[in-house]
Amino acid sequence: MPEELVRMDRINKFFGRVQALNDVTLSVNRNEIVGLLGDNGAGKSTLIKILSGALRAESGEIYVRGNQVKIRNTTDAMALGIETIYQDSALISQLSIARNLFLGREPLRAPRFLDRLDHDTMNEVARKLLKQVGIKKEIPPTTPISALSGGERQAVAIARAMHFESELIILDEPTNNLGVEETQGVLRFVRGARDSGHSCILIAHNIYHVFQVVDRIIVLRRGKTVADDIDPKQTTIEAVESIITGMPIS
Amino acid sequence: MAIKSFVQRVVSQPEFGPFVLLVVEIAAFSLRSPAFLSAGNISNLLAFTPELGMITLGMTLLMTAGEFDLSVGSVFGFAPIVMWTLYNTHVASLEVGFVIALLFAVIVGLANGWFVTYLKIPSFLVTLGMLLVVRGTALYVTDGFPQRTWTADSPLMNIVVGEFAIGGLYIYASLLWFILFAIILGYVLTESKAGNWIQAAGGNPEAARARGVRVTYTKVALFILTAVLSAYAGITSSIRVSAANPNSGTGYELEVIAMVVIGGTALSGGRGTIIGTVVGILILRTMRNGIVLIGVPGLAYNIFVGGIILAMMALHSWLERRHHAGT
Ligand SMILES: Nc1ncnc2c1ncn2[C@@H]1O[C@H](COP(=O)(O)OP(=O)(O)OP(=O)(O)O)[C@@H](O)[C@H]1O
Ligand SMILES: [Mg+2]
Repeated sequence: MPEELVRMDRINKFFGRVQALNDVTLSVNRNEIVGLLGDNGAGKSTLIKILSGALRAESGEIYVRGNQVKIRNTTDAMALGIETIYQDSALISQLSIARNLFLGREPLRAPRFLDRLDHDTMNEVARKLLKQVGIKKEIPPTTPISALSGGERQAVAIARAMHFESELIILDEPTNNLGVEETQGVLRFVRGARDSGHSCILIAHNIYHVFQVVDRIIVLRRGKTVADDIDPKQTTIEAVESIITGMPIS
Repeated sequence: MAIKSFVQRVVSQPEFGPFVLLVVEIAAFSLRSPAFLSAGNISNLLAFTPELGMITLGMTLLMTAGEFDLSVGSVFGFAPIVMWTLYNTHVASLEVGFVIALLFAVIVGLANGWFVTYLKIPSFLVTLGMLLVVRGTALYVTDGFPQRTWTADSPLMNIVVGEFAIGGLYIYASLLWFILFAIILGYVLTESKAGNWIQAAGGNPEAARARGVRVTYTKVALFILTAVLSAYAGITSSIRVSAANPNSGTGYELEVIAMVVIGGTALSGGRGTIIGTVVGILILRTMRNGIVLIGVPGLAYNIFVGGIILAMMALHSWLERRHHAGT
């Protein structure tokens, strides 16, 4: 019996009169890569925003490692080991790579006068992490994010999730706007995450990508879970597509 | 090669352009007018500069965090009115009046911050309103008349703006305070955790919040800091010139913002430099002082200020674009 890491139970979320999520239940096990699929507006982003503390549900419970938790904001989620990576918005383009990596969890050094930053540690760790996530080019950690390519930015966000030992890494359309090479890099990271003891939720519109890396697929349709135990090895892309759209295979 | 890349790095710093301008300016004025580098003129230049400079330091951090404050000139005028009115009416000693005046600035900053962060009203509108409210209050409580300041004798006055001589230079203590504030705030911006948060709050508040940065707290704190520095500068000025005029500080907000952006801090937030700001302060103060000395009518001052702003903005935007093209 695999060990359950996170469980969201009967989550409901309204935006005004629109019900974005209707009794949605989702669970992720340790060392498991889950693909979350669904059409535009199905509620995928809403669901994971609730898990990462960016939104709050009207009702429903969240359990982490079997304990019920309240996630009121992103700090709560990070403290529980849940890290979310979005395509843009997650990094601050004016700040350097190193400053972004440690934003909100800055290492300090003595003398601590007015919370002095430990620039040496920040730069050193940043350099090491960039290598780990497969950036071969020599990029100084003091480079501002605005000078990086989309794929390099994604790598920085991923490096951040890895460094802070998040147990669950959520990627919401991480390959949007990325080139072929960079997309492969992200997918390789997701595959590698399982081996290094992380769990992942991967949201992507490209079903081929999802099929390549996940252990299990969950499908949302108009705010409801319509499938939560699809094994990509036992099914076809066409079958999953028909579940996503709700239309029979033609 | 190493030398070339070093030179390139220096040249691409946002402070480099303003620094060159300052050097050129000083060279030009001292060539045209021998009086420019005289001890008397330098003392003169350094008398008022720290007062405007203190406001500008606060504004630099605030603008780096993506906000700005138009009410600084009004607070500059009103804080000394509070202090001297309390003192002249025997309600409080000068020291207590001083503390109350600064507390008043805390409230103004808190109000600015609250309107901007909780009600989500742009800082332009909020602080424009505050500018009028505070100035109006200053005029109302004084009937528009200056307050007496010459009856007081307190060690506080010497600590804030006592005068002393070094060689032929007459220096006010306010210059030392300004240097101290500049060093501390420069350190805070680049070396401290708070500085990381300030830049992040201005660069991308949503992303910063998602990392656990307390964006609202950071911005409110900076509104308070700016207001307190403005009040302190106003009090300094009132002691130095022995007058608390309800109209003083009028128009300072724009000069201060000009100094900040000339120094290389981004109006849109996310990037800021205290060193640049100090250079920006010196550029405009030297300009105002120098053009009169070389015989240009003082009324022409604004033409130069405007020209410098436009030239520096063009330079910064060019550096920015070149920076992006190069990667
Ligand atoms: N802030 C909001 N205010 C109002 N409605 C919203 C808001 N965010 C999402 N919705 C609505 O909730 C529903 C689910 O949106 P959500 O962003 O979760 O979809 P999604 O599955 O992530 O879609 P996509 O694949 O296009 O990203 C949609 O109908 C959307 O219009
Ligand atoms: Mg989405």
